[in-house]
Amino acid sequence: MFHMSETWRLLKTGYADAYTNMAMDKAILEAHSEGSVPPTVRFYQWNPPAVSIGYFQSLEAEVDTLECRRRGVNYVRRVTGGGAVYHDKELTYSIVIGESHPEIPGNILESYSRICGALIKGLRHLGINSSYAPINDIVVNGKKISGNAQTRKNKTVLQHGTILMDVDVDTMFTLLKVPDEKIKGKLIEDIKERVTSLKQVLGREVAFDEVADALKKGFEEEFNIKLVEDSLTREEEELTKEFKLKIFSREEWNHRR
Amino acid sequence: MILKTMKSESRYKIPGGKLLRVFLEYSEDTKTIQDIRITGDFFVYPEEAIEELESILLYTPIIEEDLKEKISRFIETNDVTLVGLTSEDLVKGIMMCVSYE
Repeated sequence: MFHMSETWRLLKTGYADAYTNMAMDKAILEAHSEGSVPPTVRFYQWNPPAVSIGYFQSLEAEVDTLECRRRGVNYVRRVTGGGAVYHDKELTYSIVIGESHPEIPGNILESYSRICGALIKGLRHLGINSSYAPINDIVVNGKKISGNAQTRKNKTVLQHGTILMDVDVDTMFTLLKVPDEKIKGKLIEDIKERVTSLKQVLGREVAFDEVADALKKGFEEEFNIKLVEDSLTREEEELTKEFKLKIFSREEWNHRR
Repeated sequence: MILKTMKSESRYKIPGGKLLRVFLEYSEDTKTIQDIRITGDFFVYPEEAIEELESILLYTPIIEEDLKEKISRFIETNDVTLVGLTSEDLVKGIMMCVSYE
């Protein structure tokens, strides 16, 4: 007998607004937990740019919502914990898979490490050496290039995260609140030292598709699977619309903490 | 008698990197919690446990031992997993709201 590798679904859903993006991840989570779709990896982008905050964060304490509106930047609360992220020039991924899948460690930190392993293998294909930095980051030469966040619901894991293709710390800090305006300049300089991007590391512009191809290979290698491109099911499309309308575009959700 | 409600907040940089921000309303006379929001960039599994924890902390005296007892018991009995913070950090974040230093 020889080992047949599993086939998982790959979704490339392109650009969408923040509410749609977060609704789609939740829709896939729900569809997979009902058993109607296979384990799924999704690559996506944000238009308009957006700030997402972690489930436990206070929107008003972390985000300058007025400035976001002024600049046409969306803001949305995620179903996952973690910190505030400015989504602009990046590849965002999500993975949805059963908690009891043999490739997924039961321990939460170990599962972060395992899924980040797919990204690290993907970055290798771009010629980049990176490593997992617990709890939820990936670093290159000690600088953060990827942030990740995971939830588990109905015995299903949803992890999403970013690979920074380019980074604009100055714009990010016009949108996020800082504890002390007096030290804002210093804080921005610190963050610039601690964050990097594919563009910085490789010294050239990197296209989204190039990153997506590399990460696809990374997921296939890490989990010994084949990723086959497909689209959302009708059910997932309906759920996405519903979650966008009833959850992610609502003040009750975004301002709840 | 009018009970005066005090508003306070704390920022606690947890060892390991996460930031805990607690927003607290408490009665000045009885030193009990009237309202609490536990916020930050940490992880709690399942997430909804944080709202439940906030509600069981209502009317709890702001005394370190009482808070520690109540929070640890809640985490254990409800099989809650904290990542990036501990129940001791939560106690510290709440106590920092009422310390005057």
